[in-house]
Amino acid sequence: MIEMKDISKVYENGVVALDHINVSIDKGEFVFIVGASGAGKSTFIRLLFREVLPSSGALIVNGQDVVNMEHGDVPYLRRGLGVIFQDFRLLPDKTVFENVAFAMQVIEAPRRRIQHSVNSVLDIVGLREKYSCFPSQLSGGEQQRVAIARAIVNSPALVIADEPTGNLDPDTSWEIMDIFKKINGGGTTIVMATHDKEIVDIMKKRVIAIEDGHIVRDEAQGAYGYEN
Amino acid sequence: MKIRTSEYIITEVFHSLKRNSWMAFASVGTVAVSLFVFGMFLIIVMNMNRMAVSLESQVEISVYLEDRLTDSEIKAIDKKINEMNGVNSVTFTDKIKALDIFKERLGDQKFLLDAIEGENPLPNSFTVKVVNPSLVKTTAIAINDFEGVETVKYGQDVVEHLFDITRLIRLFGIVLMILLAGATLFIISNTIRLTVFARRTEVAIMKYVGATDWFIRWPFMLEGIVLGAMGGTVAFIALRIAYNMIVAKIYDTIAFFPLIPTYPFMTYISIIIVCCGIVIGAVGSVISLKRFLKA
Ligand SMILES: Nc1ncnc2c1ncn2[C@@H]1O[C@H](COP(=O)(O)OP(=O)(O)OP(=O)(O)O)[C@@H](O)[C@H]1O
Ligand SMILES: [Mg+2]
Repeated sequence: MIEMKDISKVYENGVVALDHINVSIDKGEFVFIVGASGAGKSTFIRLLFREVLPSSGALIVNGQDVVNMEHGDVPYLRRGLGVIFQDFRLLPDKTVFENVAFAMQVIEAPRRRIQHSVNSVLDIVGLREKYSCFPSQLSGGEQQRVAIARAIVNSPALVIADEPTGNLDPDTSWEIMDIFKKINGGGTTIVMATHDKEIVDIMKKRVIAIEDGHIVRDEAQGAYGYEN
Repeated sequence: MKIRTSEYIITEVFHSLKRNSWMAFASVGTVAVSLFVFGMFLIIVMNMNRMAVSLESQVEISVYLEDRLTDSEIKAIDKKINEMNGVNSVTFTDKIKALDIFKERLGDQKFLLDAIEGENPLPNSFTVKVVNPSLVKTTAIAINDFEGVETVKYGQDVVEHLFDITRLIRLFGIVLMILLAGATLFIISNTIRLTVFARRTEVAIMKYVGATDWFIRWPFMLEGIVLGAMGGTVAFIALRIAYNMIVAKIYDTIAFFPLIPTYPFMTYISIIIVCCGIVIGAVGSVISLKRFLKA
C-alpha cells in the first residue's frame, strides 16, 4: 500500500525533516507514527497525499508513483485516500450532510449515490440524526466524526490521520479510535500520527517511531515508548 | 461537464455572491468605473478617427489646363480622368467662371483686377475627387503627365499631415486602451483574490478530497464572469446616457460636427464593453486562483 524508499525531505529553509527513510506498509495494516514534537511525523503524513514533495527518494502510494506524478494526476491519487486533521477542517456554512457530500460532489458522483453513501457513513460514525446540524452546533468529537465520515465516504483504500485526537479529551478520543478500528476491520489501511501514549499502548498495533527525521523503531505490536 | 456539476457550480456562485455581497458590489463598481473610462476612450478615439477620415475624404485634386486646348481636347482629358481607377467625380470649371468666383472672393478689392484690363489670367480646370484619400497623391501625379495639363495641385501638406494625425490618434488610442484593460484586469483579479482568500479553506478541502483544478476553478471563474458582465452592463448604460447627452449638446451648438450617430454605434460599444467585462472577469479569477492551485 505504501512503499517509501530512501525518502528525504529538506524544506526550503534548510530544515531536514526526514532523512533517508525506508518504510513499507501493507494493505489492511494499522500503523501509528509516534515521536517528539518536530520529529517529522506531519512531514511523513503530508508526503503520502503529496501535499509536499520529497527532496529525494521513491514513494509509491496505492500503486501510484507519487514523486513522478503529473500535477493533473494528483486529484486522482487523493480520491483513493482519506485525510483527517487535528483541526477537523469542516466548512462552517455547510451542514453535516453537506460537508460529507462535498467530498462526493467534487468527484462528480451521481446524486442518488451521494445520498446513499453519505447516510451510510453517517451511520458508521453515529451522526445520522445530526445530519442537518452545522459544525458550530457540534462538540469537538462530533466534528471529528464528521471529518472521518468525509474521509471515508469515497471508500478509500488508505486513511491518513495527523493527530486526529489531538484536540479531544480521552473519552472522546476513544470514540474516534473505535471508529478507526471499525474502518480498519473492513480492510482499510490506516496510518495515524499521534502523541497519545495511552491509545498507542492499549491498541497494540504497529508503531513507527521517528526522531529527528530518522526511524528509530518499527515494531509490529509496539508501545508508545516515551514518557508523555 | 455533467449536469449535476453545472448545478453545483451555479449554486456555489449564487451562494458566494450572496455571502460576499458587499465585496461583489465593490467589484461590480470598480469594473463599471474602469470599463466606463475604457468605453469613453473608445468612443473618443473612434469619433476622432471618423473625423479624420471625413476630412481626408474632402481633399480634392485641382487640375489646371493649358490655354491652347480646344473644347474637344478638354472633353478627351475629362474622359481620360474619369476612366482612371478610384476617381469618384470630375467637375469642369471654365476660365470665365473661375474669374467670376475669384472676383466674388475679392469682394471690395475687385478693383485690383482693373490692372489686367479685361484679360483673364485664370486657366480652365478640373476638380477631381477620389474614393480613397490614399489615392490622392498617385492620382495627382498620373494626371500631371497628361498631354495638355499645365499643373496639378492637391494640398500635399494637408494630406500628409492628416495621415500623421490619424495614425497618431489610432496608436495613442490602442496604447491607452491596452493600459486601461491591464489596470481593470489587475483590479478584478485583486477583488477576486479576496473572495478566493475568504474561501481558501474550502479550496484546500476540495484539493484534499481530490477535486481537479478545473472543478475548483469553474465556480470562481463563473463568479468573475458574472461580476464582469454586471460591471460591463452598468458601464454601458452610463456610457449610453453620457453619449446621448454629448450628442444632444453638440448638435445644439455646432450642428455639422460629424459625431457618429448613436445607433448602431452604441450597440457595438455595449457589446464590446460587456465582452471585455466577461473576459476580464474570467481571466482575473484564473489569475487570482493560480497561487492556491499550485501545490
Ligand atoms: N513548511 C515547512 N517549512 C519549513 N520547515 C518546516 C515546515 N514544516 C515543518 N518544518 C520543520 O520540519 C520539522 C519536522 O516538522 P513536522 O511538522 O513534520 O514535525 P511533527 O513531528 O509533526 O511535530 P508535531 O508533533 O509538533 O506536530 C520541524 O523542525 C519543522 O520546524
Ligand atoms: Mg505534526
